[in-house]
Amino acid sequence: MIYIIDHKDSFTHNVVHQFENFDDVMCDNHNEINEDKLKKSKVIVFSPGPGAPKDYPRSSNIYKRFKGKKKMIGICLGFQQILHCEKGEIIQQKKIYHGYQSKIKVISENSLFTKNSKFKVGRYHSLKLKEPFAAKNFEITMRCDISNVAMAIENNKEKIYGFQFHPESFLTENGNLLIKKILSA
Amino acid sequence: MIKKNYLEDLNNSKKPFIIYRSNKGFDLYTDFSKKIILTKNNIEKFINQSTKLKSKKKETDLFIGFFGYEILNNLIDIKVKKQKGLKFPKGIFYKPETKLKLPNKLNYKNLGLVRTNKLFKININKSSYKVIFDKFKKKIKSGETYQIKICTKYSNKSKIDALDFFCRLVRSNMAPEAFMIKDINYSIISCSPENLIDKKNDFITTKPIAGTLKKTKKFNKIKALAFFKKNIKENKEHNMIVDMERSDLSKICKAGSVKILKEKIVEEYKDLYHYVSLIGGRLKNNTSSLEIVKAMMPGGSVIGCPKISTLNLLNVQEKESRNVYTGSFGYIKFNGDMRFNIIIRSILNYKNKSEISVASGVVIDSNARHEFNENYIKAKALIDLYK
Repeated sequence: MIYIIDHKDSFTHNVVHQFENFDDVMCDNHNEINEDKLKKSKVIVFSPGPGAPKDYPRSSNIYKRFKGKKKMIGICLGFQQILHCEKGEIIQQKKIYHGYQSKIKVISENSLFTKNSKFKVGRYHSLKLKEPFAAKNFEITMRCDISNVAMAIENNKEKIYGFQFHPESFLTENGNLLIKKILSA
Repeated sequence: MIKKNYLEDLNNSKKPFIIYRSNKGFDLYTDFSKKIILTKNNIEKFINQSTKLKSKKKETDLFIGFFGYEILNNLIDIKVKKQKGLKFPKGIFYKPETKLKLPNKLNYKNLGLVRTNKLFKININKSSYKVIFDKFKKKIKSGETYQIKICTKYSNKSKIDALDFFCRLVRSNMAPEAFMIKDINYSIISCSPENLIDKKNDFITTKPIAGTLKKTKKFNKIKALAFFKKNIKENKEHNMIVDMERSDLSKICKAGSVKILKEKIVEEYKDLYHYVSLIGGRLKNNTSSLEIVKAMMPGGSVIGCPKISTLNLLNVQEKESRNVYTGSFGYIKFNGDMRFNIIIRSILNYKNKSEISVASGVVIDSNARHEFNENYIKAKALIDLYK
């Protein structure tokens, strides 16, 4: 079972439907988390949402408790949530992307995805990761083809993955494939 | 066929009635046997019970009416602080006993004298609009909202002939979700173009509009589409609404069934072009009417995105009640089918006071003066009815 932690976003149920292609999914609000479901889940997903990671201490707490024990995936705010817990700094960016389609590029050989492949994705974010960023076992594996902003992180050792863009958006090409690969990793 | 003077006689009879745009003309509902005034306490029961009635075959086996903005917030557990404004009911539904078809051309002419007033007061002037605008832009930069709609309100004291207003309005601004309600102490007139819920059996669609272009000689439908496609700001706003509506539908639809049926097409109206998408899905088994209403309302395209944090920002900012504006009008049939619009481009007349609310969106690259003026353009077609 995949447990999705919702940060009261208007895109969360697109995420739910996308993951339902592959497994049973449960979804609860970040302040109504059910301990049983949390324990039973194989995968924990941190949803997109408004605001910044520091606004969601409960989600940070869950991340820290289950890091290395369960597969965890973060999308948009969820991606930032993971980075925030890994001592990354999340800052405002000059150019803001809301409802924007842009091309991104796989930049790492260690990625689950083919290096140098490019595809179009949907973006909804005011904030971004401040770089340089370094954390044990983590690697930035995708970047915006134009601005170079970090678009994905992978930690294949502890099975932690994050996307700054929205794989569930209708603006993202092959979003389902992306999730399928992460889930079977 | 109805009698030639039917509308005139009905209007003079003081009997409450409702007119709603249909495929070919209009439907008229009257002879109401029940009138339910909604409150925080009875709304859930009303929606649940409306589809538990036995008779399901007659054309009048339905409740028709509206949900105001505030009660739709309450329904999804969002608080609205005490606001100023008319003390107008939060929602009213009627059970009609008569339904008649009216032709496209409504035959009615107002002969009596009514005291309308051309002068309107606006509740937010340009400089205070700019202050709110800048405040919301900061919230966009910090990621609390991605798009938010500032509402301004024009109001005056007027006694109006609602039917006359409606006939003139649809003559100049026909819209697929146009409707009017006339009751003893209030009337609502709207040329809403936007359908929020169309549900038949287990199939549900929503048709958000994001993007409006005024018609000029320069444009035809093809050129209008090219304009929208090229315009990055309009596209971003529209994309956001499409993903949000997909997500709202996904709350109540079977996994994998939610599809964009028409992606970013242009619809042509008398004076403008709209940038529209159609999204649909198959409802999960046993989805209740209440679950549908809660998933879809208030309609996202007129609020902003993400819905909940944006509603909270709006409700802290807005000092005056929106009343019916950005609520929903439509019907629930006893068999569970529904049709609801989003109440925009509307006049509420209550106790001889008229109000016209309009809103335009703030996204990261919008401009305060442009959006303020845009609000006036949206209100103008309605203000022009007063003469």
